[in-house]
This record gives sequence, structure tokens and C-alpha cells, in this order.
Amino acid sequence: MERRDFLKISAATGAVAALEGCGNPDHQLIRFVPEEDMLPGLATWKPSICTLCPAGCGMLVRVMQGEAEVVRNGQLGILKMGLPKKLEGNPAHPISHGRLCPRGQAGLQVTYHPDRIKTPLARSGPRGSGQFQEITWDEAMKQLLSHLTALQTSNEQGKIGFLTSPLRGQRKTIVHGFAAALKAAPPIEFAFLASRTIQEANAWSFGSDALPTVDLSHSNYLISFGADFLGTWNSPVAQSVGYGHMRNGRTGQPGKFVQVESRISQTGASADEWIPSQPGMDGVFALSLAHVILSEKLGTAGAAGHAGALIAGWSEGLPDYAPAAVEKQIGVPAATISRIAREAAANAPAVALIGDGPAAHTNGFFNALAVNALNAVLGSVGKPGGIVFSPVWTSQSGKPGAAEGKKDGESSVRTLAEQIHATPDSVKVLLVDGANPVFATPMAWRVREAFEKVPFIASFGSFIDETTVLADLILPDHSPLESWLDDSPESGSTKTVASLAPPAMQPLHNTRSMPDVLLDLAHQLGGPVAAALPWKTYDDALKIAFSSLQKQKGSVSATDADDFWTKVKDQGGWWSAEDKSVSLAAGKIPAAAVKNTAPQFDGSPDQFPFHFLPFASQLCYDGSLAHLPWMQESPDPLSTVMWGTWVEMNPRTAEKLAIKQGDTIEVASQHGSLRAPALIAPGIAPDVIAMPIGQGHTNFTRYASGRGANPISILAPMVESGTGSLAWAATRVKISHISEGKIVMFGASLTDASPELKHR
Amino acid sequence: MAHQWGMVIDLDRCTGCAACVVACHAENNISTVGEDQAARGRAKHWIRVERYYEGEFPDVRVKFMPVLCQQCDAAPCEPVCPTFASYHTIEGLNGQVYNRCIGTRYCANACPYNVRFFNFYNPEWDKPLNLQLNPDVSVRSVGIMEKCTFCVQRIKASEIQAEAEKRAVKDGEIQPACVQSCSPHAMVFGDLSDPQSEVSRLARSSRGTKLLGELGTQPKVTYLQRESWHGAENA
Amino acid sequence: MSRSNLGLKRCLRVTVFLGMIILVLSLLDRTSPAQDTAPPPQTMTQSSPIFTPAHRTVMDAVREFFGSRQKPVQPIAYTHKVHLANGMQCTDCHVGVDRGPDARIPSVNFCMTCHQVIATDKPEIKKLAAYRARGEDIPWQRVYGFLPSAHVKFNHAPHIRAGVDCAQCHGDMTKQTVAVRMVDHTMGFCVQCHREKNVSVDCVACHY
Repeated sequence: MERRDFLKISAATGAVAALEGCGNPDHQLIRFVPEEDMLPGLATWKPSICTLCPAGCGMLVRVMQGEAEVVRNGQLGILKMGLPKKLEGNPAHPISHGRLCPRGQAGLQVTYHPDRIKTPLARSGPRGSGQFQEITWDEAMKQLLSHLTALQTSNEQGKIGFLTSPLRGQRKTIVHGFAAALKAAPPIEFAFLASRTIQEANAWSFGSDALPTVDLSHSNYLISFGADFLGTWNSPVAQSVGYGHMRNGRTGQPGKFVQVESRISQTGASADEWIPSQPGMDGVFALSLAHVILSEKLGTAGAAGHAGALIAGWSEGLPDYAPAAVEKQIGVPAATISRIAREAAANAPAVALIGDGPAAHTNGFFNALAVNALNAVLGSVGKPGGIVFSPVWTSQSGKPGAAEGKKDGESSVRTLAEQIHATPDSVKVLLVDGANPVFATPMAWRVREAFEKVPFIASFGSFIDETTVLADLILPDHSPLESWLDDSPESGSTKTVASLAPPAMQPLHNTRSMPDVLLDLAHQLGGPVAAALPWKTYDDALKIAFSSLQKQKGSVSATDADDFWTKVKDQGGWWSAEDKSVSLAAGKIPAAAVKNTAPQFDGSPDQFPFHFLPFASQLCYDGSLAHLPWMQESPDPLSTVMWGTWVEMNPRTAEKLAIKQGDTIEVASQHGSLRAPALIAPGIAPDVIAMPIGQGHTNFTRYASGRGANPISILAPMVESGTGSLAWAATRVKISHISEGKIVMFGASLTDASPELKHR
Repeated sequence: MAHQWGMVIDLDRCTGCAACVVACHAENNISTVGEDQAARGRAKHWIRVERYYEGEFPDVRVKFMPVLCQQCDAAPCEPVCPTFASYHTIEGLNGQVYNRCIGTRYCANACPYNVRFFNFYNPEWDKPLNLQLNPDVSVRSVGIMEKCTFCVQRIKASEIQAEAEKRAVKDGEIQPACVQSCSPHAMVFGDLSDPQSEVSRLARSSRGTKLLGELGTQPKVTYLQRESWHGAENA
Repeated sequence: MSRSNLGLKRCLRVTVFLGMIILVLSLLDRTSPAQDTAPPPQTMTQSSPIFTPAHRTVMDAVREFFGSRQKPVQPIAYTHKVHLANGMQCTDCHVGVDRGPDARIPSVNFCMTCHQVIATDKPEIKKLAAYRARGEDIPWQRVYGFLPSAHVKFNHAPHIRAGVDCAQCHGDMTKQTVAVRMVDHTMGFCVQCHREKNVSVDCVACHY
């Protein structure tokens, strides 16, 4: 007997009993008849649209057959179905060009998230307790209908509020059409990173109320004022594709990239030249560059047209902005200003961008107008290598949208909260879809307290978050991959883009598509509401809307309407054949030319010595993606921090306050305080403290709840003076050392777990 | 001649966005380990973005460098493996045969690039996150070393497809997940044995360098260094 | 006490001891399979030549080491013999085998395309019709397939294209009623054929 056999026999005696009981419980579930005919092991690719940020990238979804546990007709069973396995950019799509950002890649985890709301819920505990009980769709619809009809009968439809994330396309048509027909208050579209100030400045300068499309692939020189255009701002994938081309994708000289900001951002890290400037002085910087260009006759004042004429002193050559006169204000040497101006003028096409922080000061609107004027004098507006405004498709399904052009900034929620606080009776029913203002607004706005006064809140959310937890009724929406989707992005391509995608998979849970729920509600309400929304389903509405594109020259040529519809569905949308940009209308003419206003900050410099700069997280974005484990565990590219947040400070600042890497510090503004670990990094001005947005959720699934701190919460309620938007970069803070702490970093963690780990 | 798969990463184009990191997780069934394990250095990222600060405020520069298995021709990880789990494949990859691996972690010790990751626990996916798992890639269990494979499942699929169509694999046909996701087109993958391929052409660039090439590991990943802008102030 | 007696006692002790270890380990065997595919078929008829911990659980390793398996019990006594004798081809039902990695195992709808009218009075066909009537699919158990711990990625299509006959790996199905495992898909079995046909025996040809 060999040793091995002996061992086998001896162990077998004990093993037999153990092995007998090893049936798999999965076998006991019934198997549903598959609804689709797929070959096992073979991948199919289905078009979809990324909905995680407003860029609107077209995707291809890799779908393979798998077995999912699903509930059908109240019974749990196993269903063989097509399951999305991987998301890629759609190579045919004019915005994504076949690429995706890290957040887009993680979209799969939204669909498969273990804490998704799987069935309609009714609140069963006190409001905000998170106690819900499962109900059927019939009950849920009945409840919501009864609240709506009650207000109809008492003629108080105006007290129905609708709060959504930014909407586009037919989803917008249906939501706004529903609200208008119901005579409810106009829906409010909320996002923290809404860029309203820049859009409005573009309306003034160029007559186009939109974010620009940046044609980086043809640019030779790029000056970006704080815009995180390679990370989170505007259309990062389209911009990154163009950036790659600008750097090394063409023969001849690569373009130069200059970034101006007070903390090195994800984008600033790639700059050829990084110029730290004083917070809020970007407009002065831009006009100083323009001054050099005008005074050295590198450009003419008249060439800047309306965008220039808006600025006080423009036609006189901006005498107040000579580099030597403003270098102290900006914090940048005059020689540098002159050199950048000359370089930009010499390396046409040169383009300037403004985004994020610089537009979120109290003078953000002026900053944006100044950068617009700089672009105009550089001759880069509406030209290759410059900024252009994309023609946006605005057709509706034969029905005029209630407010197709209307765009809301984050301040709309402040107005709503103030209204409720002033007249608690003014909102009796609040419908919430996708927006989470309780997390993403300053505590000083008292949004949570306002919502708590609303008698009935219904949410279409897929997750319990800080806003949805206040709901009385939850009617969970499908995940984007389970839904019909359409989109008409406002920037990212010079083509007109109308994206469309059928569901990439069958729903996993007992959820319903929000537009379909609204259409169903409309039919049940009857009367004018039903008449205003005549489509049976969302995809009916889409089919009618898209049919108007058939005659236009575009990416799809078809023989008849059905053929066109099929081809649009297969391609993931329709886009125009030619590159076209919106012809620039003269913008708004102000009563008087716009003058520089100094940025205001909340808190005195003596008491609150640091500027507080929150910034969008490369992974968790505005916090709406903090619930995805991939986003939590991927190291932030600059800080390498995982599963948490940090407060970034200059080494000199840290040394002065005796703060070490990872120490817990307290950041306090006049409106609140938070605690987080310190991260010491050289790429930040000594008088600036920066912190990523994204963490600090109190109630957002098992992966994000109770993790880190939320910088938005302590922001001062400062507003941009021209547009009323939240000036989220205008808060001053003080910091104090609390204790040793921990910070999880890839390759170099500091933990409070045990002493021996600390010295690894 | 067998293919010799290689990669070129253009650091002038890389923006450090980390799309490659997440794409790799999605493609290769890499589990997340959670905060506590991550704090102990046990997070698994087959590709990572390394960040280097240079200088002091205000003259600060940042460099990003995506680091993945360099698929060395003279790989330090291979000869140290007592069970031949780490071995050199015919197509020049540093293969990792999971069945053979008994978890000595010698290879991770020997690797100068820190790109090998050990499974301290069985991977777990909170249901139904497991439905995302790619059936083309093994799920590694506890006690096993894992690392970047250059998406060998995609290489195989393309090779099988090309064979079925009785043709050679076309240049650019194979894209590992990281390459496919890269918005600024910083990464190029292809056959180094074909001198005409894009990856060969780029690898011969004067900007090309090897990571820790002085160690003699002969990596098959070439990094194209950043160029400083040398335009003029005056036209 | 004699020497042999001592040896026997020690042998017994070791037996009991090892048995207990296995029992304890089996209690720790709680990890659910991570893959979304059907639970792995427990059909290894041969024990593994080496013990390796490269398994999801210790019990998985032990099972493979001992060649322990569960015999698949099919919900319907499907007979391959009758279908093949009636002139059907393997690929009529196992669609996709020439196109991709896996062959399809037919769903109740597929069976019912014929059995709507054929042999409807047979007891097994009545079972089939009953599944359909209940809106359920047939819970076929897999007969072949690799354990996840084998880390093997097998692709049918290139084998079919290379002219490998189905019977070479699955036995002569014209003689089988309910499918049983007739060929052991051990590594030796695969490698032998790969060597004979002069195709790659590189590890990553199959293991990745």
C-alpha cells in the first residue's frame, strides 16, 4: 500500500459522512422558462447609454447567458437570461468614441448592487428611520394616485413638487409633460455639479445656454482655469480622446497644456505648466492675458465681438488689467502672465476653458465671462481647435415639451427649501427621482428639515439614500441597463447626437421604469393628463420622437419607418452626418458692461485662515457613486486613498500645525465641522485646504454608509452674485489637530489597527 | 513564429484617470477586499496608476504611470516558483497556472514591480454582484497568487476567431480591457514579433524606456516618456 | 504487545484523527460558489493525482482528491439512443457547439417543438409537458464539465472545427439512454490528444 492510498482510505472514513450532505440548495429552486434565445458562452453586444454623469457616453454592453435568481409572479426561481458582463464605449458613438471613464466602467455594479430596492416599499417606521415594508405595485400605484387625486379635487395641484436629477430627451418630455398636465409646480432638476454659471455666461457671451464642446484634437495651446476636463467636468471621455490626440496623435508640434488652479486636480496633474493662482482671481487672470494680447497687438478688441464688448474697459484695451498691476491679486508673476499670453497668441488655435472651482466663487459669473472674452480674442470660438456649441436635438414626440430649454442649477433646491420653511403647506406631495439634495447641499440650506415638513414624499429611487430614506413611498425604477434610454447631450461632439438604447437585460427585480410609471399614472388620472401623455409606453414615445429624424441626413439610412427604428436601436442612436456647430447668436446685452467684482468669502481670514476647496472625486463623482465597491476600492489616482476621504494640505501648513500624514483633523467653517484624515501633498497652496466630494454618506448602502465626511455639509450658503448658484468654493475654514488617525492608501496605509502594522 | 505580446504606454497621453484600473476589475473577476484588508496592503489591482510628485509648491509637477505586469522575458518571478505555477508561455507571457500554485508567494517576493497579488481569503461577491463575473476568466480562490494576464482570454478568443476564419490575427484586433478603456489612447497592445505592428513601431521610439530595465528583467512593456513642450513664445 | 499490534493501533489513531480533521473542515466549508453559472457538476470519477489547495474551499480540494462526486439525477429520463436512432444529430439540440465555448442544453420550449405532437402519451413526455404547463424549465443536471477549481477554460468550437468527433470525448451516445459520464476528462486525456494532433500543450492554452 502506498502512503497516498493509505492516507486516502483513512481520511475517507471521516469524509464520507461530510460529503453526503453536500447538495446545493440552488438546485431546489425552480427554473423559469428562458424568455430569450441565447447561446451559452457566446457574447453579444448591445448598445446602451451611460447615465452616471451628464456627458451621455454611448456604450456597448457585453451580454452573456447566465443564471440569475429572480422573482417572477411572487416566486423565487432561476432564470437563464442575458447578463451584462462588461461595459465598453460604443466606437460608433460621437461622444465616447469607444472609450469609457472609470465611473462608466463601474456602471455594472449599479445594476447588480446587493442593496438595490427590489420591490415597491411603504414607510413603516418613523420618517427617516429606514423602516419600510414591501408592497405590491398595485398598492403602490393606488397610494400615489390617491394623493394626487386628492390634491386634484381640492384644486391644489400646484402643491405637487417634482424633484429630479438633470433630465434630457424624452424622459424630460414625459416628466415635464406630466407635471404640466397635472398643473403641478414645474419640476426642479438638481445636481451639485450643475455648471449653471458657465452655461449662463455662455448665453451672455455667445447666445448659447450650454457647456461648450472642446475641440482639443486640433488645439495647439490650452489654458484651463480649474476645469477638471480630463476627470469629471463636462464630457471627460470626449475631452480625453481629444487631449490624447493633441498630445501625441498628430504630426508636428504637440499642444501645450496650462492649468490654473490652487490645488493640482486630476486634470492639472497632466499639465505642461501648472500655475497656482489666488482663489477667485481667474477672471482677472484671463483679462490680464487678454490685456497683453490687445496691448501687444496680438489680437484686436473688435475680433472678440459681443463676448468682449460685455467686459468693462474692453474696447480701451483693458487698462486695469496690466500684468504688473494685477500680479499681486492673482498671485502669479507678471512675466509669467505675459509669457502665457504670447505663447497662446503664437500657437493658434489656442483655447481657454473654465470649470469647477473658478466658476463656483461669488464672482464665478464674471470669471466665466472673462474667459469667454479671452477665447473670443484668441479667435477660438466656433473654430476648429477651439470651443464650439453643439446643435442639440430637441424634437419631442409630436408634443411640445413643457420646458425643454429650462435648466436648473443647484440653487433651485435652496429656493424649494426656503419656500417650504416659509409656507409649510406649499408642497403637499413631493416626487423625487434620482436627485439626492439632502446629501449634496450645505446643511445651512436646511433641505432635510424642509423635506421632513412635506406630508407625502414618493421616490423613484433605486437605492435608499439620504433623500429617499425620507420617502413615504418608494416606486423603484429599473437600473439604466434594464431600461429604455434616450439622451441628447449638449456637448462633447460637433454632431447632433440623439442616443437611444433598448434595455440591455431583463429586469432583475420587481421594478418599473419611471417614465412608464408616469404614463400609467397619467392614464389612470384620465382627463387632460392622459390626453397630454398619449403614449402607451416610454418606448412608444421614443419611436414616435425618433421617427422625425428619418428624413434628416445622419448615421442611419433606412427604407421605411420600421427599418429606421430597428437600425437606430442597433446603432445606439442617431447622429447627424456633418459636423456642425450652432451659429453664434449675439448674446444677452447687459445694461452696463460687466465689471470685475472681488470674490467674497464666508468667514474672516483671521479666524478661518484657509480657503476650503471641495472637488469632484474622480471615482465617487459627486457622491452618487460612492455605493459601488469598485469605486471605493480603486485608489484615487492622485492621493491613492481607498475606502475613504481625506483633507489635502500643503507640507508647510502641516508642519506649522504639527499634523502628520493620516492624523485626524477637524475642519470647521462658520456653518459646521467635520473630521477626516490629513493627506499631505505638495500640489496645493499653503492657504488652501481641499477635500474630495463623495464620501460622508449617512445612509447609502452597505459600502458607503458611515464612511468619511461630506465637505458639502459644512459649506457656507454663499451664492454666485450673477446667477444665484451655490458658490461652493467661497467658504473659509480653520483646522485643528485631533489625534493620530488612519488612512487607507494603496501601498502605504496608515492604520490605527495595531502598532506593528503602522511600521510595515 | 509565435506571437510575442507586448504593450506600449505613452506617458505623454496618460491622464491617470484610472479607467484601466476599473476596467481590469470588471474584466478579470478581481474581487474587492474591503477597507480592513485594503489597509493591510491586500487590495488587488492588476494594474495601478502610480503617481509621482516632483518639486515643491509652487513648482510642482506630477507624473502618472500605469503599472501592470511587465511580462518580462527574463522574469524574476518564474525561476523561484517551486511548483512551476509561474512559467513562461510560448507567446512570451508570464503565465500563472492557478492549479499548480500552492501559495508560497516567492514570486511576489521576487517581482520588482509589485504586480502579483495573493488571495488571503476566498473572494466574495455580495449577491447579486456575482452575476457580473466574466465566465471567460477563472475565479481565483484562497491561497493563490494572481496577476495581470494581458487579458489572455481575449488573446485566446481572437486567436480562435482568426483560426476559424483562416487568417492571421490582425494588428490592433486584440485589446486588453485596460487598452480598450483608455480614452486618450495612451496604451497600445500588439505583437512585438511583427516589426510592422503599431506596438513594435512605438516601442522603437526614442522616448521608449523600460521600467527598472537596469535589472535585466527585459520587460515587454515599453513606456514612452513625457516630452517637455518646446514651442515658441513668438510665432 | 507485539510490534504489529502497535502499528495497527497507531494506524487506527491516525485514521480517526484524520477523519475528525476532515469533519471539522467540512463544517468550515461554508463558502458559496462565486460563479453565477450552475453549481459545479460533481462528476469527477477519478481522483486527482496531487493534493493542491488551489480550491475555493478545503472541502473542494478534499472532494477532488478523493474523486468524490454526486451522480447527476435527471428530472426526465431522456434517452439519447432513441433520438439518435431517429436520425437526429447531436447539434440539433446542442446548438452552438460549433460556434462557441459551450453547447446549449435544450430548454422545455425547444423539446416541446417536437413533443407537442410526438409521443405525447409516454410518461416521460407527460412530465415534459407538465413542466411546460407550469411555466417551468427542465432542471437538467450537467453530466460533463470542469470544476471551477480546475481553472480550465474549454472551448468546443475549435475542436469541432478540427474535426474531433463528439464521441471522442463524450462516448458513443447512440448506445446511451440517460447520459452518463463515459469519458473522464482528465488533463492526461486532453494532453494526449493535443500531443497526437500536434496542437499546443502550453498551460495557458487551457488554464487561465
